[in-house]
Amino acid sequence: MTQSSRKGAQLLVIGYGNELRRDDGVSVKVANALAEWNVPDIEAIGCHQLTPELAERIASAAYVVFVDAALGPGDVVRCREVEPDENSQVMTHATDPSSLMALAKQAFGRCPPASWLTIPVQDVGFGEELSPLAHQGLKIALEKIRSLADAICR
Amino acid sequence: MAQRIVIDPVSRIEGHAKISIMLDVSGNVSDAQFHVTEFRGFEKFCEGRPMSELAGITPRICGICPISHVLASAKAGDAILAVKVPPAADKLRRLMNLGQIIQSHALSFFHLSAPDFLLGWDTAPEKRNVFGLAATNPDLARGGIRLRQFGQEIIETLGGKKIHPAWAVPGGVRSPLTEEGRARIRGWLPEVLATTKTGLELFKQTLKTHRREVEIFGHFPSLFMGLVGPDDTWEHHGGHLRIVDSTGSIIADDLDQQKYFEVIGESVQKTSYLKSPYYKPLGFPDGMYRVGPLARLNVCKRMGVPEADKELANFKTFGHGAVTSSFLYHYARLIEILAAVEMVGRDLDDPDLLSDHLRADAGINSLRGVGVSEAPRGTLFHDYTVDRNGILRKMNLIIATGQNNLAMNQTVAQIARHYIRGPQIPEPMLNRIEHGIRCFDPCLSCSTHAVGQMPLHIRLLASDGTLLAEATRG
Repeated sequence: MTQSSRKGAQLLVIGYGNELRRDDGVSVKVANALAEWNVPDIEAIGCHQLTPELAERIASAAYVVFVDAALGPGDVVRCREVEPDENSQVMTHATDPSSLMALAKQAFGRCPPASWLTIPVQDVGFGEELSPLAHQGLKIALEKIRSLADAICR
Repeated sequence: MAQRIVIDPVSRIEGHAKISIMLDVSGNVSDAQFHVTEFRGFEKFCEGRPMSELAGITPRICGICPISHVLASAKAGDAILAVKVPPAADKLRRLMNLGQIIQSHALSFFHLSAPDFLLGWDTAPEKRNVFGLAATNPDLARGGIRLRQFGQEIIETLGGKKIHPAWAVPGGVRSPLTEEGRARIRGWLPEVLATTKTGLELFKQTLKTHRREVEIFGHFPSLFMGLVGPDDTWEHHGGHLRIVDSTGSIIADDLDQQKYFEVIGESVQKTSYLKSPYYKPLGFPDGMYRVGPLARLNVCKRMGVPEADKELANFKTFGHGAVTSSFLYHYARLIEILAAVEMVGRDLDDPDLLSDHLRADAGINSLRGVGVSEAPRGTLFHDYTVDRNGILRKMNLIIATGQNNLAMNQTVAQIARHYIRGPQIPEPMLNRIEHGIRCFDPCLSCSTHAVGQMPLHIRLLASDGTLLAEATRG
């Protein structure tokens, strides 16, 4: 896991994926890039998968952005709201944004507004390089997060 | 007509599996099998890789127990280099393994198993999970989440990341603890000690109302194997191998870890990718043995830290010599968390943890090396054969879940015998059989597996394969 050290930041960005499966790691690269910005009020976490331990950090943020790779048709970076879902598929040691939000609410008493940013990808084979599509998506995702941060943290 | 019941998939375990229950012509349970339907192949595709890479590759077997693999792999590498690792490296490896035990056991108890007996066996599956626990007992759920976080923080503090840190290497470790890391770990101790004690009290209360579960969830005689310290103290990374029987009598002690194959055989079954290890002198399947928390507490006489020692004394009252109910794996797991937390606190001020003398260097001095360490789920063996250039020629891994395979079969059969009368599939049995497996906390390679609304597919088959009855849940 990589992270910037801004606990209790207003904007928490969680990029999750496998950096050894090429484009699947684009979300972690987004988190790494954000950490390098060194912007106050933004905490960036890059991790392999979403785990229940993130619920506490989520509960203490003003706004959360989950960043994920999306394999399939389409080449648009999408951003949608995430609602807590207590009935979604709960995983054992890994989970999904909606479930994690619900866990934050139930176990830590708070669930901030959140978005789920998905970056279109095309190659999740073994390797660490990004495809041109994922590389383009990374740039767009960072722009979207910067806009979001400007709106939230102003 | 003989019949067979199949439960597929089994949920809230780490991986994919199914269960078959065989009925005899009278409709009584004759046997049961826990099948693992995943294939990984690490033993084969690691062939040809340099020995020095294996501590980086083999932890990828699993996202829950990578620490166990990296430590066993490093120890196998130590044996090939024929070196004694520096004291600081040994102490640091032990600290990381304690973190691994804490985080894995916390996941098993608070996230996966406790919802069953705290929320009620027959609560709807979509509510019988950590969310349900958070809704009814948020303090406990929060404490369990943070307890696991503590274990992961130890791992991350030492290895740089929570999952798959490339930290332990043949001959030692890559980096020491820092003063800052030590302070951070110390800050957690009061809270995690309190959480662990809460979990223990809760489970002891649970035992008062779960006597039937203690009796039928894998309660049978077997052998138990684990590492133990030189003074019969609980051990998790060093020490020596010991095997006791269900009366607690030591039947094999101080076994040579490099020659484990002289006492442990591995049976292969056509219906599962999981091998079934057994104690060779008793043959297959009579040589069935159990590993993991229950076994480790059965092979030792003391934990070595005061609070856990008190709990161990109480734990031992549940058996005559050895504690033989698999339901008490949960109790053993909690006692191990308690011991681990106490040991972290006890050892944290050791100046060696900050030492920079962390690796012993050597070339290839032995063409075969075996590394043995206690994973949370039980004794883990990494056995490497290399050529003179250190290139891997052969690998054998004996995983805890495999060593519990025969006992898991017997647990399923015992629970099924209690509930099944004839060709019907009683609904209450399904939740309990799943939990019977969960007592062992099997890790089937760490593929993620949904819980709650996961479909549960049960098929009742005649001996000729004819489908007699079918039930689907979720």
